[in-house]
Amino acid sequence: MNSRDTVLGRIRNALADRPVEELPPVPEVWPETNPDAETMAARFAQELDAVQGELHRCRSMDDARAKLRGLMKEFGASAIGAIDGPVAREVTEGLNGVAWVAGDWDPNRIGQLPLGLVAADYLLADTGTCVVANGTSQERLMCYLPPACIVIAKTDRLREHLPAAWKEIGPRAADPALCGEFVFITGPSRTADIEKILILGVHGPKRLIVLLVG
Amino acid sequence: MLVKMNTHLQGAEFLKAKTPGLAEPAGSKALGESAERSAKNNQAVVDQIRDWQEWREAAHRVKRHAVANLDKLLVEFERNISARGVTVLWAKDAEEANRLVIGIAKEHNVKSVVKSKTMVSEEMELNHALADEGIRAIETDLGEYLVQLAGQRPTHIVTPAMHLSAEDCGKLFAEKLGEPFTAEHRALTDIARRHLREEYLQAGMGISGVNFALADTGAIAVVENEGNAGLSTSAPPVHVALMGIEKVIPSIDYLPVFWNLLGRAATGQKLTTYTHLIHGPTPGRKLYVIILDNGRTNLIADPHTRNALGCIRCGACLNNCPVYRRVGGWAYGWVYPGPIGAIITPMLVGLDPAGKLPFASSLCGACAEVCPVKVDIAHELVHLRHRAVNEPSPARSIWERLMWKGWAFAMAGPVRYRLTMLGVRIGVRVAKFLPWHPLQLGAWTRGRELPKVPGPAFRQLWKEKR
Repeated sequence: MNSRDTVLGRIRNALADRPVEELPPVPEVWPETNPDAETMAARFAQELDAVQGELHRCRSMDDARAKLRGLMKEFGASAIGAIDGPVAREVTEGLNGVAWVAGDWDPNRIGQLPLGLVAADYLLADTGTCVVANGTSQERLMCYLPPACIVIAKTDRLREHLPAAWKEIGPRAADPALCGEFVFITGPSRTADIEKILILGVHGPKRLIVLLVG
Repeated sequence: MLVKMNTHLQGAEFLKAKTPGLAEPAGSKALGESAERSAKNNQAVVDQIRDWQEWREAAHRVKRHAVANLDKLLVEFERNISARGVTVLWAKDAEEANRLVIGIAKEHNVKSVVKSKTMVSEEMELNHALADEGIRAIETDLGEYLVQLAGQRPTHIVTPAMHLSAEDCGKLFAEKLGEPFTAEHRALTDIARRHLREEYLQAGMGISGVNFALADTGAIAVVENEGNAGLSTSAPPVHVALMGIEKVIPSIDYLPVFWNLLGRAATGQKLTTYTHLIHGPTPGRKLYVIILDNGRTNLIADPHTRNALGCIRCGACLNNCPVYRRVGGWAYGWVYPGPIGAIITPMLVGLDPAGKLPFASSLCGACAEVCPVKVDIAHELVHLRHRAVNEPSPARSIWERLMWKGWAFAMAGPVRYRLTMLGVRIGVRVAKFLPWHPLQLGAWTRGRELPKVPGPAFRQLWKEKR
């Protein structure tokens, strides 16, 4: 008998009494109040600040581009790595020093980027969370390797909270062709492992900067 | 306090004075304060949630359902995640799981491994098994890294190095990594960042645990704060995820409630910084999931301990336990400390070596009150005490058994009872004047006075009243 059958057999023996345990309805978790975009943006700003993230509100893509230029200057960075996509293309139009991170980049090369730009699929207002869908290892590494992670999203990506976004994430996750990960990023990398003192930027980015456009 | 210890499992020799937490009160004091602070902070966050009790109840019922249908859910999970290109392997015990990991490492010619925190791998003693095959395994969670460098074992399931001071860490880095001494938290963290960055980039394999496995969509969820799990699972070409059989839940629909509970109960966060929902390997990469029993089916077989499998390893019961706060994690002698460990350990390693653990509790019930999935810890401990006493075991001495036999005899009739009580009254009066007390009595009276004989017995008073 192989180990799979052995383990499943042990479980069936142990459950000889076959207890009946009804599955409860999915709890509401957070009631939905369907707030407007401005309310959600304000809440997101407050919650992101509480987890030591930085928010830049941008009126337009041109405004966001100017912010990016400012950030590159602040970091003394001549290059910014970016994951290809419509929002990233739009915001970097005419910007010098954009390196498009492609499938042949190895982790070392991504690790040398001073700044990384990724686009979020959703922003969760109640927790200050950025939800990023990463289909390749390069996309995943862009969230963790550069010392500063810049996340861009338009205001129509704001959702009230995790359960509200779940209505869209659930069906996407059910697609058998989906690979990679959804990562829910709530603030920059952190630890409190030494004497419970909070330190930002252990392994992942030391700064998380969100550009909210619109 | 940098205590060297054998990192191999020592069996659960609970309350041996040699365990550092007991021998060095200063060490356990720091740990106790940290644990108490966590408990208070996290409770403050929980108190803001109006529906906390409803969330707990829902999570509890989902976990009960999952255990009651575990065979079906694991098969469903296996089918759905396999369809995404993940290789699913099964292991009866720790030894087999180690063999599987080593097999995968050899197949991919792996020389070094980066690990994000997984309690299951502690259970397997995977690092030793890999080292025996000449494969380097580096812990990347800061706390685990410190504990590994010190050659110790974690004292807490969420904050493994809770017992180390910043000064201890500075000395450790100076000694093991040749870094200039510092006791400054930022500088210490940067040293670890620099050294571990190299490790991620050169490792041939990353190993992680699994917080939740989703049967209906075929995915695994891993939660963390440091970014080390993200890096360990994306930088190396091979990712191996280790999970106990109890990690599966029926549907992705329930995940938000579990995430909300886990972050708050573990660290007082609304959501943990990085919450990964992984749906299969990215192009050009390999992903393996190893499903491990290693004694968990013993917990299912006893209907009274079944619900302990609902544990989501948040550590709240440790932080709130008055016993854990005093003795620390090592005193429990195995991987899982604290109240939940006192249930899991005897069932995983056996009542013989670990049957004393359920007695390491004041049964105050603080653990059950804070448990985010409502494991009824105190009652399960009482149940295991019954089992530990009633099941024949060579661990209990012949003297103990004789003593209980004698007690049962003395209680069986009024004359016997009166004679016994008379003997006790005289014995306690006389014992004071003896120069030497035998065995356990001697150990007890070295630090304490014998109790005074109380006034007239109830039977005497009753007689007089009438």
